[in-house]
Amino acid sequence: MINVALQIAEEKIFCSGHHACPGCNEALAFRYIMNTLGKDTIAVVPPSCGAIISGPQPLSSMRIPVYQTTLEASAASAAGIKRALKAQGKDHVQVVAIAGDGGTYDIGFQALSSAAERNEDIIYICMDNEGYMNTGAQKSSSTPYLAYTTSTPGGKPTAKKNVAEIMAAHRIPYMATATTGYLDDLANKVRKAKEIKGMRFIVILVPCLDGWGVADNEGAKVSRLAVQTGFFPLYEVENGTKYTLNHGSEGIPVAAYINRQKRFRHLAPEQVESIQQRVDADWEIFKTKFNS
Amino acid sequence: MPEVTKVPPVWTTGWTDILNTGTWRSATPGHQNRLSPCQTACPVGAEIAVWVKQAKEGQYQEAWLTLAANNPFPAVTGRVCHHPCEGSCNRGEYDAAVTINALEQFIADLALQEGWSLPAPADKRDMRVAVIGGGPAGLSCAYQLRMAGAEVTVFEAQPELGGVLRYGIPAYRLSKEIVAGEIKRLLAAGIKVQTNVKVDAQKLAELQKEYSAVCIAIGAPKAKLPPPFSGNEPGVLNGLQFLLDVNRAQVPELGQHVLVIGGGSVAMDVARTARRLGKEVQVMSLEDRQSMPAQEEEVLEAFEEGIVLLDGAMVQEKVKENNRFKLTCVKVTLDATAPAGVFKPIVQPGTEFNLVADTVIVAAGQDPELADFSASLPVNNNLLTVDANQNTGQAGIFACGDVASNERFVSMAIGAGKRAARRIEAFCLGRQPGDGAAAETEPVAYKEINTFYFPMTPRKEKEVLNPELRQQDFREVKLAFAASDAQTQAERCFSCGHCIQCDNCFYYCPDMAIIKDAMSEPSYSILDQYCKGCGLCVEECPRGVIVLKEVKR
Ligand SMILES: Cc1cc2nc3c(=O)[nH]c(=O)nc-3n(C[C@H](O)[C@H](O)[C@H](O)COP(=O)(O)OP(=O)(O)OC[C@H]3O[C@@H](n4cnc5c(N)ncnc54)[C@H](O)[C@@H]3O)c2cc1C
Ligand SMILES: Cc1ncc(C[n+]2csc(CCOP(=O)(O)OP(=O)(O)O)c2C)c(N)n1
Ligand code: SF4
Ligand code: SF4
Ligand code: SF4
Ligand SMILES: [Mg+2]
Repeated sequence: MINVALQIAEEKIFCSGHHACPGCNEALAFRYIMNTLGKDTIAVVPPSCGAIISGPQPLSSMRIPVYQTTLEASAASAAGIKRALKAQGKDHVQVVAIAGDGGTYDIGFQALSSAAERNEDIIYICMDNEGYMNTGAQKSSSTPYLAYTTSTPGGKPTAKKNVAEIMAAHRIPYMATATTGYLDDLANKVRKAKEIKGMRFIVILVPCLDGWGVADNEGAKVSRLAVQTGFFPLYEVENGTKYTLNHGSEGIPVAAYINRQKRFRHLAPEQVESIQQRVDADWEIFKTKFNS
Repeated sequence: MPEVTKVPPVWTTGWTDILNTGTWRSATPGHQNRLSPCQTACPVGAEIAVWVKQAKEGQYQEAWLTLAANNPFPAVTGRVCHHPCEGSCNRGEYDAAVTINALEQFIADLALQEGWSLPAPADKRDMRVAVIGGGPAGLSCAYQLRMAGAEVTVFEAQPELGGVLRYGIPAYRLSKEIVAGEIKRLLAAGIKVQTNVKVDAQKLAELQKEYSAVCIAIGAPKAKLPPPFSGNEPGVLNGLQFLLDVNRAQVPELGQHVLVIGGGSVAMDVARTARRLGKEVQVMSLEDRQSMPAQEEEVLEAFEEGIVLLDGAMVQEKVKENNRFKLTCVKVTLDATAPAGVFKPIVQPGTEFNLVADTVIVAAGQDPELADFSASLPVNNNLLTVDANQNTGQAGIFACGDVASNERFVSMAIGAGKRAARRIEAFCLGRQPGDGAAAETEPVAYKEINTFYFPMTPRKEKEVLNPELRQQDFREVKLAFAASDAQTQAERCFSCGHCIQCDNCFYYCPDMAIIKDAMSEPSYSILDQYCKGCGLCVEECPRGVIVLKEVKR
């Protein structure tokens, strides 16, 4: 698994001096998204870490127009902007919504689902850090089973919502999962999305160092473990039916992933085992999708 | 009509890259070349990570030059070195160590085939040095001094240079053309040689007067002869003499049944040589199989060639009958409480057995021949006493190799020769010793390697000639790598602590705080203004090149 040379044109659309935490993987993802999409892009960012990273007003870390919308409305705002551009004959401009998991799985979900149903011509990227992180690490429906958040101090009793499958089920042209430990794969997916018309959705797992309790230097490593343990497989779905697996479970026990994060440190061995069983069961179901 | 309030047309007034987010940091990363563990383990201090990387890139001649800088005999060590580098290779903790030794042979053989020559020596400087003994230690010392601009003369007792390389190690392990080729190339650097000169006490005194420094590298050529073979009698040979004779194509009369006494590498060489002369060979060692000093590999190869081992045994009595030895032998164990190097066999009663042999060859260790040197120089335990810089304590007299060490390996001798040369240079030029010795840094540890970037790939060993062919003559047993093997095996190297400009650090920085300039050294620099000190670049560097240091404010 050699990291093929990324060959990203560093256009400095995403600038240094941004306000992400040291080692932030979301900032890293921004770097690859922005440099891949290029100058002819308008971004829509709702309240989230992303808004902080792209702020702080009156300065911006992004050398493109960024519209900071409400937490509910990212997909609707993006769709509106794209329609307006089309009406002006500026169809070459991409509109990308970049929202957190709270703004995607939960609060902005209605707007997202209906934009997908209408097959709006936008790219929607979810920066999935598995919680409401910029407001102090509360749980979202993306928070994994048994993870500690400030609002689930005993560990979240329910499973992580599977937004990738939900979006694929909308039969949109392109759905993909990505993560920062595989930057070449991430950049390739953004590039691919850029070339497709209609609704494109990418969910990127971005370890939140502070919210997950991960060391500043280990975000990429932890993100890789999420993939290698089968916790978060990297795959693509075209038109809701054509599945492609890019990186999946390598049979590494989930404990290897969990042990590097303080949000799981309260777990008893049986609980770790129960997570393992869920991951295994999910992987078995998931595998069947790639048979064709 | 409600009043329309004016909003500014542009809310954003600038970009964040005017900010100083670097002030957040409490640690700063820095790119630096670091020691690889293979290099620290290598007795000649070879820059393995560097030459393997050059080989990886197909720059074979550059690779050879890097090798040759520390070792004028890479084709020799590529064959016979005990390669402690591989034992310390970080890749060993991952899948299997890099085949450094085989790669060394590949590059060095190529150099001989292609006739590459050594770089020109430095301009002449005021250093006249006499080296006594033209084995690997003496020649390494002479080479390093010559390269540094010295005028060097080697005095050698034998008609030809090489020491054990030429007259000891059998040709099936080390082809004599290879030895000759590397010596010839070395001499072309302008080293003077006087062969057939056995330096004695008087000659030593003369040399001391005539030269600014003298280096003694006379090896350990005196065979130890344990009882009951201490005397000089027909049918009993000493192993070193036997190997010398065979290497000079003067094969002695052996009869058909040969018994070799000894459990070390030399005993194996003697036995396997006798086997190649068509003899029935048995080896008897005091040690049992597990504790015999011979390398496991050579013991196995000896077995394959039909050699019989009688381990944990010794000869008690010998009787000569019809020109043959009748030997009464017995099983023994070794007294574990005996001091290191001292053998105290404990006879196991009732285990006596008999043996018949036409010839007994004793290969039970060797000592230096110090009669001519002990009067003027410090001797301890049959060795010339030296300090860590090969200094005898007598002004201007240095010693290296087997004469001054019990670590009897070719690479150790070459390394000691190099050390002696550095010290002699300092002595002749009146510099303080110890300068130039780089501050010792810890080599890159395995945990600093990011193995995600290295797919598991199998290690390939040198191929070994089949045992039948081996017994026919003295052709080399181990076969050199083909170019394709060399390539895939070189690619297995992590390049511990050596930047290969993979750009990973550049790509993984969330703050775009690393810039690349291929023209500068190092090729990457950190932008103080932006680096938040997260250490992601450190973690994602596959090979431990970047070090995070605390910021002191
Ligand atoms: C049979 C055998 C096999 C070995 N196999 C291996 C192996 O596979 N791998 C390994 O790493 N090591 C091996 N060794 C050990 C290794 O060869 C020695 O450690 C190494 O050769 C020591 O180098 P040296 O230069 O100190 O001594 P030598 O190689 O012994 O060279 C000393 C030289 O000095 C000359 N000389 C001696 N006295 C005088 C004098 N008074 N005046 C002038 N010249 C003199 C000698 O003729 C000789 O040329 C082996 C040793 C033996 C004996
Ligand atoms: C409707 C609404 N509810 C609550 C908030 C407060 N709020 C701002 S950001 C945020 C968290 C968003 O979480 P997520 O989308 O996961 O983004 P992250 O901070 O994790 O990047 C919340 C709750 C809001 N802005 N709007
Ligand atoms: S991987 Fe390469 S550089 Fe690292 S210890 Fe092994 S041979 Fe040396
Ligand atoms: S990744 Fe960037 S910000 Fe982090 S320590 Fe390295 S140079 Fe500094
Ligand atoms: S990551 Fe690559 S380019 Fe950066 S220091 Fe390490 S080897 Fe060199
Ligand atoms: Mg979130």
